Amino acid sequence: MRNLRLSSHSRRAALGDRGRRAHPDEVVAVGGYLDEQFCQVEDLQDDASPNFTEEVVTLFFKDSARLISNIEQALEKYPKDFSRWDAYMQQLKGSCSSIGASRMKSECMSFRDCCGQGNPEGCMRSFQKVKREHGALRQKLEAYFQLVRQAGPAGAATRPV
Amino acid sequence: MAGAARAAAAQRRVVRVLLVEDEEIHRVLARALLKSAVGGGGVEVDEAGNGAEAVRRVREGGAGAYDLIITDKQMPVMDGHEATRQIRGLGVTTPIVGLSSDCRQSDVNAFLEAGADDFTPKPLSKEKLNRILAKFNLA
Repeated sequence: MRNLRLSSHSRRAALGDRGRRAHPDEVVAVGGYLDEQFCQVEDLQDDASPNFTEEVVTLFFKDSARLISNIEQALEKYPKDFSRWDAYMQQLKGSCSSIGASRMKSECMSFRDCCGQGNPEGCMRSFQKVKREHGALRQKLEAYFQLVRQAGPAGAATRPV
Repeated sequence: MAGAARAAAAQRRVVRVLLVEDEEIHRVLARALLKSAVGGGGVEVDEAGNGAEAVRRVREGGAGAYDLIITDKQMPVMDGHEATRQIRGLGVTTPIVGLSSDCRQSDVNAFLEAGADDFTPKPLSKEKLNRILAKFNLA
């Protein structure tokens, strides 16, 4: 079976290591970009779907780019339409949850809080943070999958328990 | 021995699930989770992209078409609450589980009042799915 999972060392290299000793179960959470849900996605990868994780992540970035564009347009075309803004952001938050993008999800929630408070400036600031986290996550995951591909079937290590 | 194995395989039930979800990423994950939880050969997953399509599939398939319906809340055309109400209006008693990233008590109550049997917050996970399957004797 081709195992695309990285060793804990390689994961830390790909996802950002703040230098602390990480418990094996926390490896993916180092840097806080991704939570346990990402492990759930990886666990679904098997011989029948050897690239499942990367396919799901690709789908996430396709969806999230579209949703971010929708939100950007809504912020411009529908000033103070908090209900509309919130609905779009709820979708983006749901997408983030599906792959365990915890930092980005947290910023989505901040945006929604600002919508609830009727705070347009707060929404704008939050939205900028959402976009920054989106960009950062994309870079991290691109690096991660590059390592996965470099590891190859022979070099890959099993995910630590 | 071969005959007994065949008989056992014939008795092994295929779980038929209707997954109602407009976002492709959630459908892809839910499908994979269902196959992982039940076993690839033991589950058939139909998908509907909105509540109206779900109601149509249930109406066309009849009362026993599905063993389980999992439906998102927020969808275009018809949301999960209305789809649940309409499916119950057809007299269908198939277990319905509401799914949403909003898990305020009001969201849960809205689904239950519409006729759903259970609710689980997104994201769907192996643990949540196993709980649902066990609850409705589909494991």
